[in-house]
Amino acid sequence: MSSKVSGIRGGRSRVVPDDCPINVVQISGLPMMKMIKHCHEEGSGSVDVAQGALLGLVVEKRLEITNCFPFPKQDDSVDEDEAYQIAMMKKLRRVNVDHLHVGWYQSADVGNFISLPLLESQYHYQNSIEESVVLIYDTQKTARGFLSLKAYRLTPQAVVMYKEEGFTPDALRNLKVGYESLFIEVPVVMKNSSLSNILLNQLSDMVPEEDGLGFLDLGTSSVLEGHMRCMMERVDELNQEAIKFNRYQQQVLRQQQDKYRYMQKRAQENAARQAKDEPPLPDEDINKLFRPLPTPQRLNPMIVAGQVNAYSSHVAQFCSQAMAKLFVTQTLQKAKEDTGSAKSLQ
Amino acid sequence: MSRFFATGTDSESESSSEEEQVQRQPAAAFTFSDDEEETKRVVRSTKEKRYEELTNLIKQIRNHKKIKDMSSMLSSFEDLTRAYQKALPVIAKEESGVTPRFYVRILAELDDFINEVWEDKDGRKNMNKNNSKSLGSMRQKLRKYIKDFEKELTTFREAPDGDDEDEAEEEDVDSDDSDAKPVKKTVPKLEQEKAAKKPAAGDDGDESDDSMDWGSDSDTSSSEDEEDIYTNIRDRFLKKPEKEEEETKREKKERRDRGKRREEEDDGGVWETVRGGVAIPSEKPKMFAKDAEIDVNLVVRKLSEIMAARGKKRTDRREQIELLHELQNISELHNLGPAINFKIRLAIIAAIFDYTPKVSDAMKPEYWTKLLDRIPDAMDVLLANPDMQVAEEILEEHEQFDQEPYQIRGCVLTVVERLDEEFVKLLKECDPHSNEYVQRLKDEIKVTQIIDKVQTYIEHQNKPAEICRIYLRKIEHLYYKLDGTVLEKREGRMPADTVTSVDVMERLCKYVYAKDNTDRLRTRAILCHIYHHALHDNWFEARDLVLMSHLQETIQHSDPSTQILYNRTMANLGLCAFRHANIKDSHSCLVDLMMTGKVKELLAQGLLPQRQRERSKEQEKIEKQRQMPFHMHINRELLECVYLVSAMLIEIPPMAANDEKEVRRRINSENFYRLLRGSERQNLVGPPESMRDHIVAASKAMRNGDWSLCYNFIVNETMNRKVWNNCAQADNVRTMLKRLIQEESLRTYLFTYSNVYDSISMEKLSQMFELDKPVVHSVISKMIINKELIASINEPSQSVVMHHDLRPRKLQSITLQLAEKVSNLFELNERRLNGEQRRQRLW
Repeated sequence: MSSKVSGIRGGRSRVVPDDCPINVVQISGLPMMKMIKHCHEEGSGSVDVAQGALLGLVVEKRLEITNCFPFPKQDDSVDEDEAYQIAMMKKLRRVNVDHLHVGWYQSADVGNFISLPLLESQYHYQNSIEESVVLIYDTQKTARGFLSLKAYRLTPQAVVMYKEEGFTPDALRNLKVGYESLFIEVPVVMKNSSLSNILLNQLSDMVPEEDGLGFLDLGTSSVLEGHMRCMMERVDELNQEAIKFNRYQQQVLRQQQDKYRYMQKRAQENAARQAKDEPPLPDEDINKLFRPLPTPQRLNPMIVAGQVNAYSSHVAQFCSQAMAKLFVTQTLQKAKEDTGSAKSLQ
Repeated sequence: MSRFFATGTDSESESSSEEEQVQRQPAAAFTFSDDEEETKRVVRSTKEKRYEELTNLIKQIRNHKKIKDMSSMLSSFEDLTRAYQKALPVIAKEESGVTPRFYVRILAELDDFINEVWEDKDGRKNMNKNNSKSLGSMRQKLRKYIKDFEKELTTFREAPDGDDEDEAEEEDVDSDDSDAKPVKKTVPKLEQEKAAKKPAAGDDGDESDDSMDWGSDSDTSSSEDEEDIYTNIRDRFLKKPEKEEEETKREKKERRDRGKRREEEDDGGVWETVRGGVAIPSEKPKMFAKDAEIDVNLVVRKLSEIMAARGKKRTDRREQIELLHELQNISELHNLGPAINFKIRLAIIAAIFDYTPKVSDAMKPEYWTKLLDRIPDAMDVLLANPDMQVAEEILEEHEQFDQEPYQIRGCVLTVVERLDEEFVKLLKECDPHSNEYVQRLKDEIKVTQIIDKVQTYIEHQNKPAEICRIYLRKIEHLYYKLDGTVLEKREGRMPADTVTSVDVMERLCKYVYAKDNTDRLRTRAILCHIYHHALHDNWFEARDLVLMSHLQETIQHSDPSTQILYNRTMANLGLCAFRHANIKDSHSCLVDLMMTGKVKELLAQGLLPQRQRERSKEQEKIEKQRQMPFHMHINRELLECVYLVSAMLIEIPPMAANDEKEVRRRINSENFYRLLRGSERQNLVGPPESMRDHIVAASKAMRNGDWSLCYNFIVNETMNRKVWNNCAQADNVRTMLKRLIQEESLRTYLFTYSNVYDSISMEKLSQMFELDKPVVHSVISKMIINKELIASINEPSQSVVMHHDLRPRKLQSITLQLAEKVSNLFELNERRLNGEQRRQRLW
């Protein structure tokens, strides 16, 4: 059985470019279950995020994830962390499991995974392991009945940007990096071995059929409220950034005017001096007189914008689904009333 | 000169002044040379120049010798040897290699001097390190140097000619130049003798120049003699003008120095007699010549003589006062008329004012009382003689003392203004909690009496500008005092035609409004007027005046003291508004004052300790000058309490209406919020102690709609003692507070709990809040009209029906907020785009 876990949604959808080392992520049941378990144990409820390593291998532009293991709760010592990972991989190799490190996973809540640390670690991963991905597992959404698992990679532009560490507006414009082109989503496909499929089929026969109540959850307002609140915070942050940038812009403008005035004055003076056959004034370094102002870093606003984008796409998706649900319930209600009235008529 | 002031001995003053002289010489030489001389200067060049250099240095060395400044002497000596080296070729040419006599002489002198000092072991020990070091090296250098001149020295020592004589004299007499006279006698002979060797050389030349400009017969003849003898006689004359100038200058300077030493300023002779007159009473008549007929002119001259010394550094101020008294006695004795009498009295007053040298310091109490006696006397004289004219515009030449109408230069107005300022300063000097302060404050009656007197005089003179000024003085003594008769009159206990201070203020201020053209006086008058109205609970008058004057817009451009007055006025207006239950007005009056947390400074009721930066002495002085005397202070505790209570009444209901965390609407009273948040952060809130604690506790009670608890926190024993008892009409205020708290609590209650009610009976509400039903009805209606409460009143059942479904859901309100924020962001982005375009256009 192979099923697509996460469809192509919202503004995030993009065709994976050809130059990408992988165009699909294939995950099998085992790592998935392990990951979900870990994320729910650690990631939900607390502020911390659960993180772990993904193991697998690349087959013809297809990244197969066959196993995973969680990272211990974040300690400060990096050495210990690495030592643990290496030891873990060695041990897994002994039991004949794929031991190639192909990425990492992280639990998240809606859109808040887009952050500076994530960008950083993914950059380092992609630097050392070309085809690595980050899997984001949304605990909250899954709790409401939608399994949400997404694989992301940094776009090549983002990698270049990060490499050069220039987050000035000019650099970003030249690289054509925006909040929407920081990450690229790789479609995730779930595939189990035939044996496990058979087992699952058998099991499904044995397990009594579930009531599909979770899917018809109508608690829309609380979820939306939460989203709105988060979005508001981000927008506030963006506002701050915008104000900062505007201030910078004004300063630059003022400085340029000053500079212009100064140069004109200088030119006039020089002209006057030339008329009097005097040597022109020495050229002073104009950059010394008018020091270029420090350009505000655009990385943070970009990330925040990405988050806002994630939230809004979530909200859009959620609303459309809720709408559908409402219609469904309406029909159900109607049907029930009809039957009720029919009964009473009888 | 600094050295002169530091030590102040005669010889030093002399030498230092000379030193200066010497240093200034080159410049002098330049300025006094004419163009025509320029060419001739070349002729005299080398020798003249060299010799001049040498003589200058010698002079310096002599000066140093006098004050035993070894280090300077050493450097001068080194310069001298160098200069001599330079001069050698000239000497060789002109004098066939014979060392000039003056040079030998200075060497001999130096040698003697050094030996002498070296011998004096005690003196050497007492020398400072620098000097003794220099002495040692000087001695060695000199010894080495002298060896070359041994022969000359011995010949010199064998026959120390007339020069030594001159030298001795020089040392005897104080100043270098006073010896010019004694030398004069010997000049002809000496001149010729010396000139044979070295024409036109330093010291001697100097002396001969002296003699020339003293212009005695013998001198001129001598110079004529010289004329016959010397070929380069022209040089002599060329040199003369500058030297002459120099000499006269020095003379002047010296005289001045000497004058200072004797503590006299102008005309020494006259001063001397005056001094005698005071110091020894029996010599009184000496003030004037014994048989002089004392008349107006003489006295006036005398007076101006005395007054000329005024304000000078060395004038003995007490002596001056005594002198003036003396003069007054004399003038009274001789019956010289009221004008002169008044003039002298004015002078005495001015002298007393002058007695305290610093503007920032208060004068001594004994002089203050003297002043309080003197000024009314003077004013009495003035008022008794209506023809007398005292004004600043009258020039000294036009003063008339002997016949009517009298014309006197002077200004009584400034006297009064100064008096008033001194009074304030004196008050500030006293400890406000001491008896002394009260005693001093009693003088205010006298001060106001004086002001009244001056006022009658000035009104009589009828000059609007001056009348305005004196009125303002009066206003400023009046405005902060509560007149009980005003209240009594309002209550009808006094006849309606009693003149109260409000009426007086009205009259004075209106005059100032109409006639003043300086703006500052008018502003101050308005502020005082408002203050006075506010003090007497004339809320509407006060408010209208504020609104009409538009002072709020311009006040920040005025001077600090007016701004302080403005702050005080606003504070009082706020209190008045509060007493009239105009909470919003009260709050808006006080919020600017309270927001900064610098009330103390804004009201000039004490300096704030500054943490970040120390204020400089100057600044502190200035700030201290601005402070208000204690009896004019406004009770800060009351002010703050009123502010906080009004903030509570204004802010709590809206806080309940909106989810506090979300909409921080426009926060009006940041202080109040800070206080609330501060108490929320505390884990354990004890029973309230301070005034603020009480108000915070009351606010919390109000948020729960518990009006009686709230009221009990605001009005209780402690609060009464701390605050309300200091408030005028405390009982009225308390009842007013009770009513307001009930109303606002009702509003808060409805805001907070309307979502749990479907309907609520007004009967019940009026019981809960102990309000009359119509009041409840009106409060609720107002809320409904303002769309604060989504409900309707059901008349038949007398109940309020809530419409929950019309209230925006939480999600909705959040979404609205978000929309607002996003549009903000959009605007910012637009602006950024505009900016970018502007920038590109610029390039």
